[in-house]
This record gives sequence, C-alpha cells and structure tokens, in this order.
Amino acid sequence: MIGSIRKGPNRRLLIVGTVFLPLLLLVLSLSFGTYAISLKEVLKIILAKVAGLKPDLLSSPEANIVLNIRLPRLILALLAGAAFSVSGASLQSLFRNPLVNEYILGVSFGAGFGAAASLVLLSRTFPPQLLAFACGLLAVVLVLLISEGARNTMFAVLLTGIIVSALFQALLSAIEFVASPYALQSLFFWLLGSFSQATWSDLLWSAPLIIAGLGFLLNLGWRLNALSLSDDEARSLGLAVKRERILIICLTTLITSAVVAIAGIIGWVGLIVPHAVRGLVGSDNRLVLPLSAGFGASLMLLADSLIRIFSPYEFPVGILTNLVGIPFFLYLIKKSRASWS
Amino acid sequence: MQIRIIKLEVSYQDFQLRVENLQFWPKQVSVIIGPNGAGKSTLLRSLAGLIRLSPGSVFIDGRDLSTVKGSERAALVSYVPQEQTAALNFRVFDFILMGRSGYLSIFSAPSRTDYQKTEEVIAYLGLEALASRKCHELSSGERRIVLIARALTQDSSLILLDEPTTFLDLKHEMEIINLLKKLATDRGKTIITSLHSLDLVPRVADFLVMIKNGRVLAAGQTESVFRSDLLASLFDYPVRVVEAEGQQLLLR
Repeated sequence: MIGSIRKGPNRRLLIVGTVFLPLLLLVLSLSFGTYAISLKEVLKIILAKVAGLKPDLLSSPEANIVLNIRLPRLILALLAGAAFSVSGASLQSLFRNPLVNEYILGVSFGAGFGAAASLVLLSRTFPPQLLAFACGLLAVVLVLLISEGARNTMFAVLLTGIIVSALFQALLSAIEFVASPYALQSLFFWLLGSFSQATWSDLLWSAPLIIAGLGFLLNLGWRLNALSLSDDEARSLGLAVKRERILIICLTTLITSAVVAIAGIIGWVGLIVPHAVRGLVGSDNRLVLPLSAGFGASLMLLADSLIRIFSPYEFPVGILTNLVGIPFFLYLIKKSRASWS
Repeated sequence: MQIRIIKLEVSYQDFQLRVENLQFWPKQVSVIIGPNGAGKSTLLRSLAGLIRLSPGSVFIDGRDLSTVKGSERAALVSYVPQEQTAALNFRVFDFILMGRSGYLSIFSAPSRTDYQKTEEVIAYLGLEALASRKCHELSSGERRIVLIARALTQDSSLILLDEPTTFLDLKHEMEIINLLKKLATDRGKTIITSLHSLDLVPRVADFLVMIKNGRVLAAGQTESVFRSDLLASLFDYPVRVVEAEGQQLLLR
C-alpha cells in the first residue's frame, strides 16, 4: 500500500498537463483566425522555420501571418496564462489564503500604472517592464504593510488590496489625462487586457523574465508546501520563513508585471486555474505549480482562439476573464466563510 | 543532549517570562504544568528557538541556541504545536514528509532517503492506514499523532510538545502519553511537553517543572515535586495528592 504512496508526483500526468496540452493547443491555435490557414500549412511553415526545409515557403503571406502575427501573440497568451496561474498558486500557499492572487494584492494595477507611466513619461523605447515591476512590488509591499497585524488577515488583505488597487487606478487615470490622444488610444486597449498587439520585440524583454521567474517558482513547489504551514511550524522545520517569503513575492511580482507590461491587466486567471488544479490533484505544490502553468497556458490559448474565431473586433481577453472570474471569486468567498473563519 | 536555560527573559506587552536557571535531562520525559497564561507555551517556544533569544540564555548540547540557525536548529530540536493548522489539505504522507524540509535546500524536493525516513516513522507508529488519507479528514487524535510523526522524521533528539493531549478522549490521551514514554525509553528522545490534565503527570513525567506568572515555582524529579502543597499554591486551589492502588491520584 505504501508502495503506491511513496512515489512522488505522477510524472505522466505532469508531462501531459504541462508540456503536451499547451503545445498541442499552440499548434492548433496557429491555424485559427479570420484568415484560415490549414493545420497542414501551419506545420509546413513551422518545419520550414525550424528545420530549414523549403526556405521559399517563409516568404509567403501565410508564413508572415503565422510567424510574425499569430506566433508572438500566442506565445504571449501562453506565458501570461502560465505566469498568472503559477503566481496565483504560489501566493495562495504562501498566504494560506485561497482568495489571494496578484490582482487582489494590487500587483496588477501597480504594474499597470508603472508600465503606463514608463510609456507616457519616458521614451517608448525604454522597456516598460522595469517600472512595471517596481510599481507592482510597491503595491504588494503597501498591501502587506497596511494589513499587517490585523485580526482577520484574510479579509484585511482583501480590503487593503482593493484600496491600493484603487490608488494605482487613480494614478493611472492621471497618466491617461496627461497622455497625448494617440498614446491614449493604445493605452486604453492595452489596459483592457489583450494579446492582440503583441510583437516579437515586446516579447524580447518580457519572455526571458517570465521564463526565468517561472523556472525558479516551479522548482519551489516542495518549499511552498512547507511554507503554507503556520509560521511557527515552518520555522521549526528549519525554513528561513521571512527571507523565503520575500523571494517568492518578488518572483511572482516579476512574472506578473512582465506580463502586464505588454498584455495589460488580465485578472482572475490566477484564482480560477489553481483552484481547478487543486480540485483535480490535491494540494501538493509539486503537482499544483506545474499543472497550473500548463492549464493556465492552455486556458489562455483557448480563450484567445475563441476570441479570434468569434469576435471580429478583437474583444479584449481581460474583459472575458473578469466576467468569468468575478462570479467565481464571489462563490469562493461564500464557500470559504465556513472553512476559513 | 543537555538542555540548559540560564537567565532567560522574554517579554510581551503585559507579560514577562523569567527563568533564572533550569536544566532538563536527556532521554527523559519532562513535563511543564501551570495555570493558563503562566508562560508554558512561551517557555516551549523559547526552547524551540521560535522566539528571538538573547545570547547565552538557552543551551542545547552545549550550543547557544541563539546562534544556531534554520536547518541546523531543525536537526537539533523539533516542535509539535497544539493544533494542526495547515490551510491546504495535504495527504498525510506528504504532511509527515515535510519534517524533512530542513534537510533540503530551498530549490530541492525530497529524495529517496527522505521518503525512506518517512516510511520508517509511519511503520514505527503504525500509521499505514492513515498515510494515503487527507489531513482535513482526520480526527483530532489522529492529527496529533501525525504531528508527532512529522517531528520524528525531523530526526532531532529533542522534541518539544505544546499540550499534546488537550481536547482528546481518554483512549487517545493515553496513546499519546504512552508514545511519549516509549520515545524516551526506546528511541532515546528527550521529550519536553506541557500538559493540561494533571492526573497524567505522575504517569508520564520523569521531571516536572511548575510555572506560575512567568516564573518557575518548582522543578525537580516528579516524586519530589508532585506534592499537595506545591500543586495547591501553583493553582491557588486546595488539591490533594493521594495514593491508591500504587498510583498517585489528584483529589480536588
């Protein structure tokens, strides 16, 4: 009986959920869109690019659509889904709070403000990721400092998060006020949360940051299990609780603000995906983190494909996630009142 | 494994624990008793290194605990809190396995050795039937045993427990008490525990410490300290220790 328990996380499930599923959806999604390109064509183009077969194929308009319009956009969707979900799962363990995610902690609007300020006030060539990260970190630090010592930390954090988010939204409005009409228009669409404007040069800065941050976080699964215990327990097990907590908050802020800097504010993914994964495989973060990455990436690819198939006007994905996420959040609050009070 | 406290002082807003000189003996069960809020938990948390200590106040095995950090401290002393507060619903096996966390670097997952250690502990305590269940499904007696199991995988020679029998029924209470004795005699563990129910004290304690208002009222071998007069002044209530059928019983 112990034999079946002693094995660590189920490897087959991990590989299918975190590698195969998102990759499959990525290739499928490349063929969707207003201009239909067959799957066969897509595969040919990918082969031409990767293996160098039939290089003349790469100059076709189809290749341009697949490689320069759809691929960067879908890679952004994939990374965004993974980043939000992994950071949500990490933060929920770290705070022992099922309702927490980067959106609740004020990171989204903090990073949004930072990126907007960078685009409007600094040069457009200056990478907005830097200021996005700095302001995202500032937001989460503010939330933690203000809510510290409250008797009901769970609701104190939620409430402070709302207030700090409101502060950064106000600052964002101030930026919009001073922005030129031209900048304002792109700012507006970017803030609603969308993958549609992604280019390779956007990804140049964000992708390495997201991949590096994810790389670290995905290796922290076991540590997050122990960190989800009470402070006394975690410390008596030998963990440097404070330092490790700061490290994880920095990493989650890094990956989410790197997404926000180019995709805008897309909330609630980090709430929905980890919950679904935990319902499916239990609480062990060695499984929850990688599967959240895979499922989050898949979900965002799926959402983006649906938008490209059904909406000719590029409906912003951020609105979609809000419409799904907020009812789900309310349901969780309702449910958690029994078990988390 | 000698445990010594010299001039320990811990203060909160309106509470102060002060212990001039106290020594615990290895491979014994030492029990701390006293009224609510007397400082039992604070004393235990100081010994566990969970409270910032001034240098030279707690020595374990000759080492100043205030200088022993993180994983090294985890290998020296483990701490069993009163209740299991895990927010996430872990599988019991994984929960017990967490006792090994101190031996792992931050980015690594448990190895084969850690799994083996955990299996050994589970077999020793006979918890095979619980191993694949979820923590939140356990009864409170089972939860306490699982917490002790986690402390055992930590593999420290000193184990501290904060009122491990509170809220348990008679059978589970005795199971925990007998386990503590067994750990000291069979496994050579040094056990320091606070206890709420006084009638258990003569059954388990080799050494007894009485704490009142943040001060040590009395400490010594149980036979010499578990006396009517000391207990009465400890709890400000007239109690009597009587002997019946070879056991010491408490009359109130």
